[in-house]
Amino acid sequence: MAERSFVEEVKKLRSAQGELFKGEGILAITKALLQSGVSYVGGYQGSPISHLMDVLNDAQDILGELGVHFEASGSEATAAAMLSASINYPLRGAVTWKSTVGTNVASDALSNLASAGVTGGAMVIVGEDYGEGSSIMQERSYAFAMKAQMWLLDPRPNLTSIVDMVEKGFELSEASNTPIFYMMRIRGCHVTGEFEARDNVPPAYSNKAPVSPYREPEKIILPPFVYAQEREKIAERLPAAINFIKQQKLNEFFAGRYEQVGIITCGGSYNTVIRALERQGLADVYGNSDIPIYCLNVAYPLIPDELVEFCVGKQQVLVLEEGQPEYIEQGVQTILRRQDVQTRVFGKDIMPMAGEYTGQVMLEGITRFLEACSGAAIPLQLDSDAVKALETPVSEEDIAELMSSLPPRPAGLCTGCPERPLFSAIKQLQAELGPFHISSDIGCHSFATAAPFNLGNTIMGYGLSLASSSGVRHTLPHKAISIMGDGGFWHNGLSSGVTSAVFNGHDGLLIIIDNGYSAATGGQDIPSLVEPNLIATTLDADRPKRDQWQPIEDACRGAGVKWLRTVSTYNIEAMKDTLRSALTSAEPGLKVVIAEGECMLNRQRRVKPMIKQAISSGKRVEKARFYIDPETCTGDHGCIRISGCPSLTIKENPDPLRLDPVSHVDNSCVGCGVCGTNAHSAVLCPSFARVNVVHNPTALDRVLDGFRRRVRGWLRNRDRQRLERYSL
Amino acid sequence: MSQGGQTLNLLIAALGGEGGGVLTNWLIEIADRSGWHCQSTSLAGVAQRTGATIYYLEFMERIAGKSQPVMSLFPAQGDIDVALTSEIAEAGRMVSRGFISPDKTTLISSDHRVFGITEKTHTGDGTADRDLILSMSGRYAKRFVHFDMAEMVKRHGTVISAGMLGAVAGAGVLPFSREAFEQALANGKGAAANLSAFSEAFDCAANGGVGVVNPGASAEGPAFVLPQPTTAIGEELLPRIEVLPPAVHEVTFQGVLKLVEYQDAAYAKTYLGHVEQFVAMDSEASGFQLTREGARWLALWMAFEDIPRVAQLKLRPTRDEMLRQEIGVTEAEPLKVSEYFHPRVEEVASLLPRRLGGALLKSSLWRKAVNNTLGARQLRTDTIAVTLALRFLASLRHVRRHMLGFHHEWRMINAWLDAILTAGDPVLARELVECGRMVKGYGSTRHRTTTRLMRIVDGVKSSEIVSAETVSQLRSAAMQGEEEEPFQAALTALSH
Repeated sequence: MAERSFVEEVKKLRSAQGELFKGEGILAITKALLQSGVSYVGGYQGSPISHLMDVLNDAQDILGELGVHFEASGSEATAAAMLSASINYPLRGAVTWKSTVGTNVASDALSNLASAGVTGGAMVIVGEDYGEGSSIMQERSYAFAMKAQMWLLDPRPNLTSIVDMVEKGFELSEASNTPIFYMMRIRGCHVTGEFEARDNVPPAYSNKAPVSPYREPEKIILPPFVYAQEREKIAERLPAAINFIKQQKLNEFFAGRYEQVGIITCGGSYNTVIRALERQGLADVYGNSDIPIYCLNVAYPLIPDELVEFCVGKQQVLVLEEGQPEYIEQGVQTILRRQDVQTRVFGKDIMPMAGEYTGQVMLEGITRFLEACSGAAIPLQLDSDAVKALETPVSEEDIAELMSSLPPRPAGLCTGCPERPLFSAIKQLQAELGPFHISSDIGCHSFATAAPFNLGNTIMGYGLSLASSSGVRHTLPHKAISIMGDGGFWHNGLSSGVTSAVFNGHDGLLIIIDNGYSAATGGQDIPSLVEPNLIATTLDADRPKRDQWQPIEDACRGAGVKWLRTVSTYNIEAMKDTLRSALTSAEPGLKVVIAEGECMLNRQRRVKPMIKQAISSGKRVEKARFYIDPETCTGDHGCIRISGCPSLTIKENPDPLRLDPVSHVDNSCVGCGVCGTNAHSAVLCPSFARVNVVHNPTALDRVLDGFRRRVRGWLRNRDRQRLERYSL
Repeated sequence: MSQGGQTLNLLIAALGGEGGGVLTNWLIEIADRSGWHCQSTSLAGVAQRTGATIYYLEFMERIAGKSQPVMSLFPAQGDIDVALTSEIAEAGRMVSRGFISPDKTTLISSDHRVFGITEKTHTGDGTADRDLILSMSGRYAKRFVHFDMAEMVKRHGTVISAGMLGAVAGAGVLPFSREAFEQALANGKGAAANLSAFSEAFDCAANGGVGVVNPGASAEGPAFVLPQPTTAIGEELLPRIEVLPPAVHEVTFQGVLKLVEYQDAAYAKTYLGHVEQFVAMDSEASGFQLTREGARWLALWMAFEDIPRVAQLKLRPTRDEMLRQEIGVTEAEPLKVSEYFHPRVEEVASLLPRRLGGALLKSSLWRKAVNNTLGARQLRTDTIAVTLALRFLASLRHVRRHMLGFHHEWRMINAWLDAILTAGDPVLARELVECGRMVKGYGSTRHRTTTRLMRIVDGVKSSEIVSAETVSQLRSAAMQGEEEEPFQAALTALSH
């Protein structure tokens, strides 16, 4: 059960020929896959293509009707290996992941796939997580396309182009026997718009129409075939691709009246180019431009004939590609020099080498380019200085003042997150045992590396925390500590981490955070998910387990772990004791602590309707939330420093003498109890209270409550009278 | 070439979980219904986990026979017509990022605060300067419409996205009819609450919001006037306050009020005696700042939170009412209130007579025994048994003067007072007074804060610390939280 449900939206996937399809880029791609007659789809979730997996997951009945096979792959490597189905058979298939991290994980299978070549169209939809809003290191998928000889599509970011390029991409893949990267940028994934739908096409082969098993030994990546495959890439597949791209006009030429100059842009940046030209008075909102544009919807390979055709007669062209190295610019230079075309090529000499080409960056770059162009002057509405001034209308002093007072808003753990008490426990334990070196991992728990926890030293990749502690463990003053999520454990952690550690006699501590889902990517299901979740703190803990449940514990034992404990994260004292004993144990071997607590976002989504329904049907329900007594709170905010829960905030101090705000629990509190437990465990203060509101009280509740209120009311009245005397 | 008009560009900055996505979908639907193209993009990433998130929309009228317009996916500086922000610091952030252009952008914002983690974790008051952000936003926006949408939507029982939609509609910056907006809400979940919040926000924005930024105006109310005495204690003590400089009347009055309730009239008289000492060393020229702040921190310290005090606070007659109001439940529903207490042996010892308490703390056997019987517990303060127990504990205040805790606190208070009164340099004295702010918390927190304060006081006494600036530096180092390092580093710097 993912964070966002597409159950309503996926109905649009049934749109027939000629219907106007309105929606998000991700949904349009799914529709395009169905229109292309894919036989199988798979992938691994991660921003910005998490929703593509969610859409596919929610569209299973439509996929089923068509006979499309879907798998939520165990990792990107699993997904890439799926594509081998297209090597022998004319099956179209697509997989998706976050890039470049996912591409790195998948690289072995991808290289072999690219070497063997494909018969059916094979497409990898990569969410290029680059620029603002990205959550990973900044690299380009382009490099992989070049070294493995896979074609890279980078369509213009409007839904019509996005959909067309999926369909054309499969054709290109089949025409050139080469797998394709289809690149979607972050904003392109989430862009909304419209396109005219076509009918869905059932795959030629499926469970309804099976293939006949068939062997082509020359497509196996063993000698001597690998040498032939390498020759084939250059001698046959590349020329075939170039021909197809030219014939089908996948790249676009837009004429403009200033023929002495031109702009060569990747499709993904086209809209930003038009906007910059529009603001300079050189284009209109419908894309008619005074400057000729050559738009690379296929970013790799470059098409020499097209480039020469575009550049001949031009004095200067500007090449626009985000990130580094400047592969396209180098390619353009090589092609033009080989053909002895003397057009001056501008690129990263006037554009930034690193980072996104945002609206401002593009406007600055294009302005600099047009100003540098020789020949007939091109009138500009804004010169470089005016463009530069747009970036910061705010004076330097005001910026400084603003920056010093605006609070940063780093991503953090959600209200009630089960990981919070774990990190509170580790922080308390650290105060006791001395500073820790912690190998962290990818997942929501990565946020513990930031304030207020500040726990964690390195992040090496998904499921790689335990592996990354293996080189440092012999020099640490404490047993090595690695923290891994359940998502990372199943993705890579079991084999790269646990198995290898046990084999090498690693005697450190591995904490596996089991929240039931792949939470950071949007709450997708994982193998160890119990449905409904069988977790110590859950209301409905006696519900049956999911069929074919794959428990983390069994997996660890199977890999040879002897010392293994499972603790609820919300039990801070027990967690501290368990971690302490793992860190001080004389027993050799890896110590694994499974820290259990269901992802609170998912849990709330599951439990809230249940509670609501119970209350409205008249059942007695106790709903808990927390409260901080503003009269006993002294405003030290130690409770916030140890927890950082979003519902734990501050408000004005009711005491007229005190100046510092008091801590305060706002209405978003879900009653997880961590702040109270922390108050106990860290001996903070007597200000925390859990308040249970009794909905639909029974007769006994009412009698007891009435009696208590009467007696306490009488005592209160006596106090009031006394207080009146003790006044001024 | 500039035919065919331009897009209308709108930026939304919201915090994770505030419904920025829902708001965007409403706007797409409204544009569609009104015959306009709308393209939106967003940066989700990890922003949904409490971070700030940005949505960007472009609108363009549909013209028959024209192709689809080419719209940008990036908000660009100098190209934003409307910026809609859900919180005032986010409005400030948009200003700082250059998205608010003085000749172009209408900025519409809720002006309430949602505090960031760095503001919340401060040991004192680390909150941003709201007035500064308001005045900056007013200065750099072409038009600035702002009001407290959070408070407004809460009254209507809905979330801020509905209020933001009302504000952007009421501001008249989008070419869509009010009906188109309302229809989008009427089709969705929670329509009734959303529509009523929309309507109020619409009217508020249509009238310019509160709209007027006047940072010069003072936020302070009318000057404080000492009330007439209503009790015998008042008759005795109020005249002593009255003869003090008017600038310190309010603080001293509140201090006396607190201490009379805390202990008795005699205790308040002790307090007044010290305040008078402050006045004697203070001056009109400085606005009696030293006295005012000294009176503040002294009153708070003298009302230190021992077990009887906590019990007394938990029994306050107004408490149940306050709690119900904050939780938002009616009188009818029964509440179960479990409070978290964790008395340690130190707190128990502080209740005992000096010698006995000291002996208890010295005996590891007794310490262990007491700690084992106490420890962390949750007490149901809504029950009669616990109420009676708390009343007993509160009544112990009558013998407070004989307790170890009282003696311990007063040793520290006297040391602090002595350092102030003998400081000589008025600036140094003022800084020492300010150190009273450090005294906070319970248990180990309290031990930490007072120990650091005493370290500063001792330093001044022994002339290790001589300048006001050093005291100020040490104080801010000491107020950086649990870690010992910053304060120790500041102390080390002292000896070099």
